[in-house]
Amino acid sequence: MKVSLHWLWPLGGVASLLFLWWAVIVSFEVRPFIAPNPISVVKALWLNRTLLLSNLVPTAIEALSGFFLGNTIAVVLATVFIHSATLRRMYFPVAVIFNTIPIIALSPVLILVFGISIVSKIIIAAIICLFPTLVNMIRGFESVSVSELELMRVLSASRREVFLKLRLPRSMPFLFAALRIACTTSVIGAIVSEWIGTDIGIGVLIIQATFDYRTELLYAAIITSSALALAMFGTVALLEHLLIRWRTS
Amino acid sequence: MQQQAVIDIADLGVSFERDGHRIVAFSGVSLKADAGRFVVLIGPSGCGKSTLLRAIADLLGCTEGKVRVFGDEPAQARKARRISFVFQDPTLLPWRTVTENVRLPIEVGNWRQLGRANRRAEELIGLVGLSGREAALPHELSGGQRQRVSIARALITQPDVLLMDEPFGALDEITRDRLNDELLRIWRETRTTIVFVTHSLSEAAFLGQSIVVMGTNPGRIVEQIDLDRRKPDNRIERTAADFFAITSELRAVLERDHGSVLRR
Repeated sequence: MKVSLHWLWPLGGVASLLFLWWAVIVSFEVRPFIAPNPISVVKALWLNRTLLLSNLVPTAIEALSGFFLGNTIAVVLATVFIHSATLRRMYFPVAVIFNTIPIIALSPVLILVFGISIVSKIIIAAIICLFPTLVNMIRGFESVSVSELELMRVLSASRREVFLKLRLPRSMPFLFAALRIACTTSVIGAIVSEWIGTDIGIGVLIIQATFDYRTELLYAAIITSSALALAMFGTVALLEHLLIRWRTS
Repeated sequence: MQQQAVIDIADLGVSFERDGHRIVAFSGVSLKADAGRFVVLIGPSGCGKSTLLRAIADLLGCTEGKVRVFGDEPAQARKARRISFVFQDPTLLPWRTVTENVRLPIEVGNWRQLGRANRRAEELIGLVGLSGREAALPHELSGGQRQRVSIARALITQPDVLLMDEPFGALDEITRDRLNDELLRIWRETRTTIVFVTHSLSEAAFLGQSIVVMGTNPGRIVEQIDLDRRKPDNRIERTAADFFAITSELRAVLERDHGSVLRR
């Protein structure tokens, strides 16, 4: 069957790279605390499953909350900017400048303001998602054609109707493109925020495992964080597949 | 008593600024169309025929003269939903099915009628020969089918005036001929006043009750040919000889005008 083959290709790719990893570790006799072989990482994943899961929960909550908060604010801001040229001229450059601040530099500032709480971590994850979605949504709202706007004018459509019937559905592919990016960045935001100050989460686990030379656990924590982003990515891709059936002809 | 003209254009001119130059789209255009008439605007590119159509639809403002639709400003007629427009590009919303595209004009503003909209949309989809494709998305349709959907959408508000801007210009000739036939049938059934822009001589000769020939440099009306034979019962009784005579006349008018522009 064609469909099953479809899935075998990337699996084959991953398997071949795992084999290469294993072969390098074994043939060069790399010491386990420098880089463990894949089999011991899988073992570590299983042995530390409760530790990993209990640390995954707060990270997932931060990443998901940040994902929803950041993307919602981005869509609202894009909606405001598309309707007010003045506000856009005033505040879009601010958003661009704000975006140039490295998130790792912003984290201590937010922790000073909001304390070592989940709030500061959610905000960091939200900020990191915000900008790509904002830019994409503005482009999406503007991707309507001249004749589509003329059609709405002949129909005497109000600005609200033009937005709801034309701009919003038009922008959906752009939204999903942005959400795919946000899936990975929100997890990055959550982990980075955990490095600055907290006692639980995958980010904390990564730092502790490194300091303790528990390299297998470090790798297991990395795989866990990647699995979180991958699960979010898969959900977004599935939603996009279900919701967007149309194509531009 | 004389009947009020549906479209009354007097000494109309449209010009706009581009790169510091004033460009005259057309000027000194006067035109009248009675209820139920099929008016064709024909002329070479740049004669302002599409611009004139957009002025009637209130898609752009006029610099001089006046346009009246049912004695009102075009904006008034547009808001009263007496005008529909068919673009060269069908402009279907790709995420909407055929039925959803056809009922869009009712969803925008006229939501009180929404209950009847689906039934009415189905009737119109039948009228344009697309029964059975109600649930199809635009990308699943051919170019000709998409333009049929856009005609059905234009008709759903039961407009008094239907403005068509080279609607079949992007289609192959076989499809275009068939759609011309169907357009005449729809026109007879709905008795809508139609203003139809084209650059095809045969299309003009086939469709037009009044054929308005426009010229360039500057855009203006060169001649208006009225073929009143069709008028009494809105029936086409045009023989091959008639058809040939009309196209020849149109060609002669366009040639003469082109020659006079070159001599100037």
